[in-house]
Amino acid sequence: MERSYGIEVENLVREFKKGPRAVDGVSLSVSPGEVYGFLGPNGAGKSTIVLMLTTLLPPTSGTARVAGFDIVKEGSGVRASIGAALQEAALDPFLTGREHMNLQASLHGLARKERKVRGDELLERVGLSEAAARRVRGYSGGMKRRLDLALALVHRPKILFLDEPTTGLDPQSRSALWDEVAHLAREDGVTVFLTTQYLEEADMLADRVGIIDEGRIVAEDTPEALKAEIGRPSVEATPADFGKLDAVSKVLGRFGEAVPASSGSAAVRLEHGDLATVVRALDAEGIEMANLQLNSPTLDDVFLEKTGRSLEGSSDGEESDG
Amino acid sequence: MKALFSVTFAVAGRQLRRFFGNITFLAPAAFPVFFFAAFAGGLSRVGDVPGFEFAAGYTAFQFVWALLQAVAMGGAFTGFAIAGDFESGFARRFLIAAPNRGGIILGYVFASLVRTTFTGSLVFIVAIIAGMEILGSGVDLFGLVGLALVVNVAATLFGCGVAMLLRTQQAGPLIQTPIFMLLFLAPVYVPLELLEGWLEMVASLNPLTAIITTGRSFIAGDPTGVPTAFLTAFSLVAVFLIWAYLGLRSAERSG
Repeated sequence: MERSYGIEVENLVREFKKGPRAVDGVSLSVSPGEVYGFLGPNGAGKSTIVLMLTTLLPPTSGTARVAGFDIVKEGSGVRASIGAALQEAALDPFLTGREHMNLQASLHGLARKERKVRGDELLERVGLSEAAARRVRGYSGGMKRRLDLALALVHRPKILFLDEPTTGLDPQSRSALWDEVAHLAREDGVTVFLTTQYLEEADMLADRVGIIDEGRIVAEDTPEALKAEIGRPSVEATPADFGKLDAVSKVLGRFGEAVPASSGSAAVRLEHGDLATVVRALDAEGIEMANLQLNSPTLDDVFLEKTGRSLEGSSDGEESDG
Repeated sequence: MKALFSVTFAVAGRQLRRFFGNITFLAPAAFPVFFFAAFAGGLSRVGDVPGFEFAAGYTAFQFVWALLQAVAMGGAFTGFAIAGDFESGFARRFLIAAPNRGGIILGYVFASLVRTTFTGSLVFIVAIIAGMEILGSGVDLFGLVGLALVVNVAATLFGCGVAMLLRTQQAGPLIQTPIFMLLFLAPVYVPLELLEGWLEMVASLNPLTAIITTGRSFIAGDPTGVPTAFLTAFSLVAVFLIWAYLGLRSAERSG
């Protein structure tokens, strides 16, 4: 039977004992070669879905096929077809980078000769050749993430699961990892299932985005389509005199519904009018402005629209169980 | 089958690299040597009590128990390592990559066998230096080594099951205590015939008693109860194999 290197999920549910429904009837489909971004705050159920799709956790109900294999009945087939870099890189501090590559290649049954070639090739690709002989306990967070990614690729999987791959990384390491993921999808045709809480990451990498909240998908489309659905941009105004903030809010209120703004500012999503009319209205009230900016819709606006909460900030300080 | 062996050798290779790549591996190996030195040396006069008849002498008598203690505790230490792998999350790498997860158990068992061969050899060398007399033939010694290896497999499978069920290093005492109890509730210092009261009754029911007694008969060159001892040892392996698989299933369900 010919296998499709995609993902099909139907009504997937996962309940934990004495806990809430971590995943509550999720259905989605990822086409072969597509980068699917799963966006949501901590505790939304992202990681639980990844654990189920990678056969690390059985679903309570529902079905899913990964690379054409049923995740419950054909776990071995699923595991042979996928690579996964989970939220916490599972590395042995006492082994070197190269020993990890050798171990992973052995687990997947690569021949001894191929193990070394493939290991060296991937270490080079993720920029760890020089550190390959060092024990992992001396690696930085970024190096560990890159090694984890290289390990996930050792058997040339057709589907790659990345669970918050850049959480906790510095901007430089994050950017390097994004480049690598983009390369894998575009050049090597790997299907990528990426969970993230970073809007920018989903926006930049994903062909399609699923927004998940409290175990349910609340929106799903291309980032552009999701943002277009929101339609109107927002205007954020910061008065030169903080005491005029209420007056600014009142003026802005004529143009649309208030949305969250940074401290000392007021903002609205424009229902009617444009930036020029807002400027004229503020000028007519004699309010001197320190800053006035027009913001195009973001995925956070989409999240806000769908859930009534902002994604940015909702992740801070919470436990990361996805 | 190929997938099973790939996983087995990968898991075993990593365990052994950790074991022999770290000087602290010598610490667990010191326990059986210590027990042997303490019991065979400090209690050597026990061999003179009336009714104690063991042709190869008290050092050889104690060596068999020390050897079985070494291999059984080798299994327990492997159990600790498995629990550590689950607690640290490293075991997920095995679970997610292994097409055949049965190979994970086999890999740990294989590593434990290699490790215990090292520890057992150390005890053997110390015993020879201490002047142990061996009356058994090469075949008898082969029987003793075989019995010890089967005990190691049984102990490793037991530890594996507990470690995978609990998935925390706190499983340590639950692995170690039953093994210690079985070891010490056997005829450790004198033969079963010289034990009395509740200890004699418990030792008679203890499956290790048959194994230790036959092990001692091997080294004395007068093998007795060989089928019973091997049947007991292999029965323990069969029971704890099921136990280990139950542990693996539990780990698979937990994510």
